[in-house]
Amino acid sequence: MNLPDNFVFSQGNLQDYVDCKRRFQLRYIERRSWPAIKAEPALVHEEWMQLGARFHRMVEQALSGVPAEQINVSPEDEKLSLWWRNYLSLHGKLTGIENAPEEELSFFPELTLSAGVGGYRLLAKYDLIVITSAGQLVIYDWKTSVKRPRREWLADRLQTRVYPYLLVRAGQTLTGGLPVPPEKVSMVYWFAGYPDDPERFPYNQPAFERDSSYLEGLINEISGLEPTQFTLTDVLQQCTYCQYRSLCDRGTRAGEFTGEEAEGTLAELSDLLFDLDTIPEIGYD
Amino acid sequence: MLGKLITGLTTTQLEIIEGPPAGHIFLEGPAGCGKTTTGVERLARLLESGVRGDSLLVLVPQRALGKPYYDVLHTPGLAAGGLPDVVTIGGLARRMVELFWPLAAEKAGFAHPEAPPTFLTLETAQYYMAHLVRPKLAEGFFETVVIDRNRLYSQIIDNLNKAALNDFDHTEIGERLKSAWVGEISQLRVYDDAQQCANIFRQYCLEHNLLDFSLQVEIFYRLLWQAEPLCQQYLKRTYHHLIADNIEENPPVAHQILQDWLPDFDSALLIFDQQAGYRVFLGADPGQASELRRFCERQVLFSESFITNPSLKSLEEALQRVLQPEKNPALPASLETPGDPSLALSYSQARYYPQMLDDITDRIADLIAQGTPAGEIVVLAPFLSDSLRYSLTYRLEAAGIPARAYRPSRALRDEPATLCLLSLAAIAHPDWQMSPRKEDFTLTLLQALDGLDLVRARLLADSVYRLKEGKPVLESFAQLPASKRERITYRIGEVYDRLRDWLENAASGPVEPLDHFIARLFGELLSQPGFGFHADYKAAEVTANLIESVQKFRWVAGEPLQTEGIPLGREYLQMVQDGVIAATYVHSFQEVVAEAVFLSPAHTFLMQNRPVEYQFWLEIGSRNWFERISQPLTHPYVLSRRWEKGRSWTQSEEERTSRESMTHLVTGLIRRCRGQIHLGLSQLNEQGFESRGPLLHAFDRLLRNLPEIEGGPV
Repeated sequence: MNLPDNFVFSQGNLQDYVDCKRRFQLRYIERRSWPAIKAEPALVHEEWMQLGARFHRMVEQALSGVPAEQINVSPEDEKLSLWWRNYLSLHGKLTGIENAPEEELSFFPELTLSAGVGGYRLLAKYDLIVITSAGQLVIYDWKTSVKRPRREWLADRLQTRVYPYLLVRAGQTLTGGLPVPPEKVSMVYWFAGYPDDPERFPYNQPAFERDSSYLEGLINEISGLEPTQFTLTDVLQQCTYCQYRSLCDRGTRAGEFTGEEAEGTLAELSDLLFDLDTIPEIGYD
Repeated sequence: MLGKLITGLTTTQLEIIEGPPAGHIFLEGPAGCGKTTTGVERLARLLESGVRGDSLLVLVPQRALGKPYYDVLHTPGLAAGGLPDVVTIGGLARRMVELFWPLAAEKAGFAHPEAPPTFLTLETAQYYMAHLVRPKLAEGFFETVVIDRNRLYSQIIDNLNKAALNDFDHTEIGERLKSAWVGEISQLRVYDDAQQCANIFRQYCLEHNLLDFSLQVEIFYRLLWQAEPLCQQYLKRTYHHLIADNIEENPPVAHQILQDWLPDFDSALLIFDQQAGYRVFLGADPGQASELRRFCERQVLFSESFITNPSLKSLEEALQRVLQPEKNPALPASLETPGDPSLALSYSQARYYPQMLDDITDRIADLIAQGTPAGEIVVLAPFLSDSLRYSLTYRLEAAGIPARAYRPSRALRDEPATLCLLSLAAIAHPDWQMSPRKEDFTLTLLQALDGLDLVRARLLADSVYRLKEGKPVLESFAQLPASKRERITYRIGEVYDRLRDWLENAASGPVEPLDHFIARLFGELLSQPGFGFHADYKAAEVTANLIESVQKFRWVAGEPLQTEGIPLGREYLQMVQDGVIAATYVHSFQEVVAEAVFLSPAHTFLMQNRPVEYQFWLEIGSRNWFERISQPLTHPYVLSRRWEKGRSWTQSEEERTSRESMTHLVTGLIRRCRGQIHLGLSQLNEQGFESRGPLLHAFDRLLRNLPEIEGGPV
């Protein structure tokens, strides 16, 4: 047992483990800071991340009741203005609930769910969950990626498995205690830069059982590893955007943020910021 | 897990924990009687019973006090569902201001309500305060005040915070302070200056969309909570159950919000620690907190400590009698509590301070040899000086005892890695004209190049580093005479040349933000094999904290500096040198507590709320157990809602509050001890003087009546 007490798993750290066991060990078990640049040009990457964070905040404001016309975007922020216009044009036409009258929908923005899996807690932070009067539960994830990732790549991400799985496991808290049948759950990735091209993933009982077994196995595997068994990935491309690359002697310079390669990693990089875990609680302390 | 936790709880605790999710309970009692345990178990039980996790709000006065709640939420056996929010009032204020900014910005008077807000950290607030106050100092502001400038800035910020937390207008600060003052008339001018600086700062914030802590609290309380129905609706729709722990450590605005909000909660558990209020200097108001009991249908008192033994309880009573005799005039001569206080106390005496430290070390070693875990021992002093920290840690480690000293924050500029990074940044930006001194460059090389010793570092620095027209220049290794190259070694020379080339490339390339420069320097060079930061986790942590500090500074001050044509990197370096930006970093409160003897200031240990078996109290003769820190620009009692405007703050008030807070402090410590307290006494203090403060006098009186105690009279 190498994990700290009360270790919490998330799609983010599980994905890191799948990508590179050593990265998981450094980042989550040993909690090592290694502040190298992740992507070049660093300023472009940073500005993109900040725009993404602002977009998420604006959507949260709108979903919390702030009138959309009072949520301002400076026209100079062209990208953000475009994303915001795209979001506003969605009104009432979210994929998966296109035909449902708004008054029959329940919105749960910025919700965190968790459940015990394999002797540990698994946690997910959702951008939005919508429940229809017919009992459908639709997960929405806003993506402000540089590129629109392919469906196959999305399907392979831990997020696409963890989010629906956890909603089935913990969603009874939203349904007045009624169990959530997997068939009622679906997940939609909505791309702010590609508003008419969302990606929808339906869910079902076999997928739930498969994910249950996979996630439990993965967590058991991680918790059973000895420190020396957290090995480096064989896929060197994973190191391109990893800040530990110099620690592992896997290169000196970060990959290009606007480059053509590593489509998926870029998509992830430009979305990394929005895990609410990264927003610190501000105390007068 | 839950079953295990439930074991050992009292009937009253179980009654609260297992009660229905309805009704409002005010739970009070002294420290150590199971109040927080009840709160944590109540939280778990509410989740088990099907209450939606995200409808639960846990309010704590500081993040560290939320740890028991976080811990239970991470327990694998907890029911699946949503997660409660564990927040401070400051955290809630910031969250609401961010969320409802479009509705509040214009009303608050911000010049650019359409633009997003910029939240200031304490560090960046201090930067702006310095920026605005420095010209005023040149005009003669604060002429009579002899304190470090940075303390002056922080006290003006503190005044603004106190105004916001007590809900009075910031423009009243000066008048409130003046009306209570009874000393030298020149002090009144100081208060006027402090007021004017607070006004200038607030105005500047409004003009530039900057939100310091005070403005966040003020906007949340006055413009959102009190005046914006959407915000209240949002909060009331989101949260239906409340657990508010240590409410005595919260400020008046938090209490007012709780009072307003209570009727809307389906259930609420307010937890009040009697005789606490250790954060009064940060605006806490235990008096107002205790009044919240009137708004709860049920009041519960826990009085039995699960921590202290009868001897410690007697010691507490005996000490209270000597510390505050006026509060216990009619008590009988004998103690009411049945224990023997002499069993709870021991002490040792030495003439010199180092002898006392040796003795403490021996006693700790004995305890550990007898089976006491190191983590069950704390060494406490009113303040923990660097020399005490070093002297004791050194002794303990030499004795093979693991020790951990509390460091509230460590100035990054004191770290060798920071000196290295900032010196190299200055060399790569010759236009800043901030050339490192030769000695600093030597230390920089020592850090940057792996395997370099001080002698060779000096030789290399002397040989390659020079100033040309005030700008730093690095010569190449190849240009040195062969004899020098051999002495320095070719291996070092090769790595040095890589460093030089990298810096030259950086200097000739496009200008980039300082934090990006440092990250690149770290990743591309210093963390590579052959360089000093390679596989060095400590250096990496310092670098990460420095980058974060620069980044926050850039996000806040970058645009205005650019407008003025001032390079941000140069300004940052200048501010670090002046001590305005301390570039401090605070270790996360979630840091794993090592199995080690803990050395800490007494107040800090109290706020950890962690009982231990043995406490060692040092520097009992110090007046710092009793006196407030001198703060010529502010006042924690006068700048509070409870202080009647116009009433004078007299010496007797000072005496009374000091005695009261010392009593609370020692009572709080005793209540967090399971076994025994040991006093480490030395006739001469750390500085070589005799000190006989009020706490020593109190123990003197107490010990005269306890002749059988180990050690003899003080």
